[in-house]
Amino acid sequence: MSTHSLAAPQSSASSKPSLATPGQWLTIAGIVGFLGLFLIVPVGMVILVAFKDPNTGAFTLVNFADFLKNPLFLRAFWNSFYVSIMSVVWASVLALPLAYLTTRFDFRGSGVIQTLGIIPLIMPPFAGAVAMQLLFGRNGTINLLLGDWFGVNIPFMEGLNGVIFVQSVHYFPFILINLTASLRNIDRAMEEAAQNLGCSGFRLFRRIVFPLAMPGYVAGASLVFIKVFDDLATPLLLNVKDMLAPQAYLRITSIGLKDPTGYVISVVLIVFSVLSLWVASLATRGRDYATVQRGGGGLSKREMKPRHMIAAYGVIALILFLVLSPHIGLFLLSISTIWSYSPLPDAYTVQHYSRVVMESGQFITNTLLYASLAGLIDVVLGTAIAYLVIRTKIAGRQWLDYLASAAIAVPGVVLGIGYLRAYYGVSLPSGQSVTSFWLIIVIALAVRRLPYALRACMAAMQQISVSLEEAAENLGATKARTIRRIVVPLMTGGIAAGFVTSFATAAVELSATMMLVQNTSDAPLAYGLYVFMQSPAGRGAGAALGIIAVLIVGISTYLSNVIAERDRAAKAGQT
Amino acid sequence: MSLNVHNQLMDDIRHNAAGIVIRDVNLSYGQTHVLKGINLTIEPGEFFAFLGPSGCGKTTLLRLIAGFNIAQTGTVSVGGADVSGLPPWKRDVGMVFQSYALWPHMSVAQNVAFGLEERRIARDEIISRVDQALELVGLRHLKDRKPSQLSGGQQQRVALARTIAIRPKVLLLDEPLSNLDAKMRVQVRRELRELQQELGITTIFVTHDQEEANTICDRIAVMHDGIVQQVGSPMDLYDRPANLFVANFLGTANILPGTLSSDRKLFRLAGGSDIPVAADVLALDKPQLVFRPQNAALADERGQAAEGRTRLAGEVTNSEFLGSSVRYGIRIGGTDVLVDVAHQSGVEPLRPGSRVAVDLDHARALYLNA
Amino acid sequence: MLNRRTFTYAFALAAAVSTSAFAQAPTGKVTVVTSFSKDVTDPIKKAFEKANPGLVLEVQNRNTNAGVKFVEETRSNNQSDLFWASAPDAFGVLVSKGLLAAYQPKAKGIPERIGRFRVNDVSGKYFGFALSGYGIMWNDRYAKANKLPDPKEWSDLAKPVFHNHVSIASPGRSGTTHLTIEAILQGEGWEKGWGTIKAMAGNFNQIAERSFGVPDAVNSGQVGVGIVIDFFAYSAQGAGFPVKFVYPSISTLVPANVGIISNAPNRAGAEAFVEFLLSPAGQEVLLEPTIRRLPVNSAVYAKAPAGFPNPFKDQRFNSMQDFDTVKSNERTEVVDTLFDQLISFQLEDIKAITRTLHEVDAAIAKKANPAAAKLAGEARALVAAMPISEPEASVDPAIKAAFRGGKDAKTRQAEFEQKWAAFAKENYAKAKTKAEEALKLTR
Repeated sequence: MSTHSLAAPQSSASSKPSLATPGQWLTIAGIVGFLGLFLIVPVGMVILVAFKDPNTGAFTLVNFADFLKNPLFLRAFWNSFYVSIMSVVWASVLALPLAYLTTRFDFRGSGVIQTLGIIPLIMPPFAGAVAMQLLFGRNGTINLLLGDWFGVNIPFMEGLNGVIFVQSVHYFPFILINLTASLRNIDRAMEEAAQNLGCSGFRLFRRIVFPLAMPGYVAGASLVFIKVFDDLATPLLLNVKDMLAPQAYLRITSIGLKDPTGYVISVVLIVFSVLSLWVASLATRGRDYATVQRGGGGLSKREMKPRHMIAAYGVIALILFLVLSPHIGLFLLSISTIWSYSPLPDAYTVQHYSRVVMESGQFITNTLLYASLAGLIDVVLGTAIAYLVIRTKIAGRQWLDYLASAAIAVPGVVLGIGYLRAYYGVSLPSGQSVTSFWLIIVIALAVRRLPYALRACMAAMQQISVSLEEAAENLGATKARTIRRIVVPLMTGGIAAGFVTSFATAAVELSATMMLVQNTSDAPLAYGLYVFMQSPAGRGAGAALGIIAVLIVGISTYLSNVIAERDRAAKAGQT
Repeated sequence: MSLNVHNQLMDDIRHNAAGIVIRDVNLSYGQTHVLKGINLTIEPGEFFAFLGPSGCGKTTLLRLIAGFNIAQTGTVSVGGADVSGLPPWKRDVGMVFQSYALWPHMSVAQNVAFGLEERRIARDEIISRVDQALELVGLRHLKDRKPSQLSGGQQQRVALARTIAIRPKVLLLDEPLSNLDAKMRVQVRRELRELQQELGITTIFVTHDQEEANTICDRIAVMHDGIVQQVGSPMDLYDRPANLFVANFLGTANILPGTLSSDRKLFRLAGGSDIPVAADVLALDKPQLVFRPQNAALADERGQAAEGRTRLAGEVTNSEFLGSSVRYGIRIGGTDVLVDVAHQSGVEPLRPGSRVAVDLDHARALYLNA
Repeated sequence: MLNRRTFTYAFALAAAVSTSAFAQAPTGKVTVVTSFSKDVTDPIKKAFEKANPGLVLEVQNRNTNAGVKFVEETRSNNQSDLFWASAPDAFGVLVSKGLLAAYQPKAKGIPERIGRFRVNDVSGKYFGFALSGYGIMWNDRYAKANKLPDPKEWSDLAKPVFHNHVSIASPGRSGTTHLTIEAILQGEGWEKGWGTIKAMAGNFNQIAERSFGVPDAVNSGQVGVGIVIDFFAYSAQGAGFPVKFVYPSISTLVPANVGIISNAPNRAGAEAFVEFLLSPAGQEVLLEPTIRRLPVNSAVYAKAPAGFPNPFKDQRFNSMQDFDTVKSNERTEVVDTLFDQLISFQLEDIKAITRTLHEVDAAIAKKANPAAAKLAGEARALVAAMPISEPEASVDPAIKAAFRGGKDAKTRQAEFEQKWAAFAKENYAKAKTKAEEALKLTR
């Protein structure tokens, strides 16, 4: 409220587009402060090592020269690039049919399909690859059966192809979520006009629907690209080391190594990820098609002929089977006694679940608390940043976007080490170190997942026509009230998508958590899963914990989907 | 639009013009019966309007012709061929959307070329046809712009060019003027009419604005509640509305309740005056007297009406100055009626409360069922 | 400088606390940083808390290296009481950085040596509570399906029949694998040892990033054979997996240790935990099916399951060599880096050469071919060749400085790595040519 009274005498100045209102300045200061404290400073402290001579401590670029001279790192760089591109391609192949079919046709169970399509994201890094090994690995179910029947063995999980396979299955929901949101926002007249001019089927999709959904698609695809580029858990579990992120991780966490190369690679990862975000923003520049408000036509769902319907369900079933195979494998593992070199487990049991529930209830409650808080922080920050970037003309506003998005390029280990370096010595009033307070885990999760929520909020904001806000301001609403009463309600779908993405992925995040968990009683689920999975008898229990994680997040996702759907229905009902 | 051009496109379109026949069409969305037993015949080259208030089913019917809606019963034929089973992209029925639906990711030329590309026409041919279509709407110089760089009127012309570039058999216009300002609206509707005359293309125009329909259409189908109430030329509909809805919807109508005398030769108004009626009124169950404000005249309360007229006494309640005329609200008995009086400069209007009489010409009175 | 100061400070504080703490029974939370899995820590936690009412064991699970890193990063405001892990090297690092406090355990019945193996480190800052040996683990179902013989020695794993069936963890990532590699190098000598390791590497299917990756892959049957520490196999058997284990004759027994962290917030509790681990009750817990480590108290073996190895009696352990911790510590980083640069990152090349050489061997066995055998021998020698000698690895000041920092550092670690990788790349390319020529000669 006080900002309003401050604003009043300056109203003539604030009408100039380049100047922000005091409220906006406060918001910017808050965002920059948060990101500065919990992203820039800690990460800066870690990557500074990359610019230091390991012996003298003087500033130098020689470490980067070493990087460029090393054929292993160059190979790792190209491998990472190749794997990321191919993962985007395959993730698109998985996501496009699901998104298109469920948004454009009258489809029974499209809500369920949407939810199932997001579930692959909810897979703790360890568990997913373990489960896929059991199904698709060298001696996994599929290959053992293929060997018995045809005497062949298909190397699904070997080398770079294995990484591409696991990554595209794991990360394709990013494209699905963003593309679906975009597709829902296209005025149906856009497509009908094309049909009217003789266009249909795949050409309609290629020439009209896809280009219009481009902002959402690019948002999703760039996320997939960066995540794959920066991910280390999957390559490492598949024993692929000649990629960039695993190299950085191996370097940073090996004891005794005084070598700065790991930090050099971290810098390369960060720079490259920021670069690809920049390319993505170039690709969508001038394409903020706010199409839904003008026509008022809303979304048209078409009916399919029965045989097309059967084919569509077939395609969807196949894709869902593929993307849910990690969960199928994990579930089998969670109810198996022994599963070793056989297509299916030897016998089944529920004792893993009882063990987990008896011993590890706190993992579950902790996860719910941490991930919800992180998701909440993320959508608040995401909405604020999206508004500042898209709706204001403040100089340098793009840097807020870049800054927040850069978090995605920071390997979790780097962030974790950075927090310890920067804040271990800082004590709370209770005398406890800041870094051993559970809230630091929440903040780490929020910072790590902010880019996801931000993308969703940006896409939602881009599709709201400015005139809707201007109408509110014209009717006497202040900027702040316009945001609260007009912008946020209209963004509900996008905000819900952002929250779900943050929540779901934070619930299974491990790499930063690994460094920050100081008490098992404060540990989230993914950490417990990791601990269980380090012993032969703990495999089943770990899998059970993984399944519980998936269920929790799956149910929350479904509920928020229901809310978003209801919200959409309510809005559609008014036209 | 510059119609001092003449090109191949225009000849082709004129050649393609086809008639439309709609038979026994019923359409429901779930429980809602949206189109009820529609039968319509639209002649080749005709400029036809679907007119009615929102929710009357006019847009649904238009979309049915374009193939975006499927009727439960009945057929739609274009140029003699039944198209009911065809998807939208095989109908050769051009539609201009209310929102124009210009694709923001394509330039003006790309938008116009789209339908031609879908028809696998040779590149050179496409270029010349795009030029022709844009020439026709006078926007050739803007072909490289993006839709977002055009004004509303320009966008509408591009949408039109895009549609006629494919040489459709029929042109469907869904409220094409609703997104334009008032001045543009008058200009564009004139241009539309001119263009339609020049091209000779069968055109259906959906609107809720009777003035738009009256000014440019050959014939109008007035729709209400999913039913075609009446089809006819604008003047027909105005002068001889088939029912009260049409009478009311097209212009202003005064409606006076009353009863037929026992000998069925007089219509007795609620106020007590009698009007002799023709034989055809006898067929109506509950006849009401209907007349337009300009079809009555003000007179002195004390005098006698001329032959063939009835004089009704009343009191002025209000007046509206319309420019060429003054419209008086006059209370007669319990009913308010409107009467237009031509305005001459220097003449003061009657004040509210003045006693006047209204002379009603029997020949211009209509009787419609309540 | 910082190290020494912290160390002295910690030492003084630890001494002060330890004298006062025994006045009453310790209470509160004991925080332990460990690489041991829940399966190991849970039974011990349960037993410890039962034996010491008032104490709660708070377990922080991290892999060994991350644990060391964690203790190091958090030294300014230390909240951990104990470090508890297998690899003695990690404790060596902690001692060298002054992160461990001295203590004299009071537990009885634990010998200074078992057979020829020393139980407690000479530094007196960490204490062996269990022994672990290194060896070969295999999946019985996998072996039967792929007709693999039971391996007995490291060299067996270099045989053609095991091609693409063997797995190991990267020694830089797994303290226990590092010890295995070091044991082979110490047992066979630098040059021959590396030869054996690279010959096995030619048969590797994968090099895992974490210790448990190997037994995990063997348990599930993704690979047939793994080079692991013994308790991985025994606990897998305890869980019911169809796996077997053997100690090769060149192996060693190494103690798994526990040490008290300098400036521990609950010093008394930390001491109570050490005493419990070394007590008969604590030693017995090691025999639990999910743990299965070799206790250091001989009396406890009376309760061991049938077939459980007993280093106090079994002769095979006497033929194993001593493990030279000093030597191992001197060259830890160099050995790990050599393994990565010469093997991990060149695995495809080594495998391709080995595959060809296996074919050559098979052909020669059918029909003698001295020229081909000579070429194959040359190819093997090229693969086995090392860029640096044993003394260089241990004492070369330039190398030491590059890896551990210091004023003598003229050459950076990255430069050594590039040099060694280039050396290997060149030799492997030559070896490949020779192996292919040999194969041509046999046709």
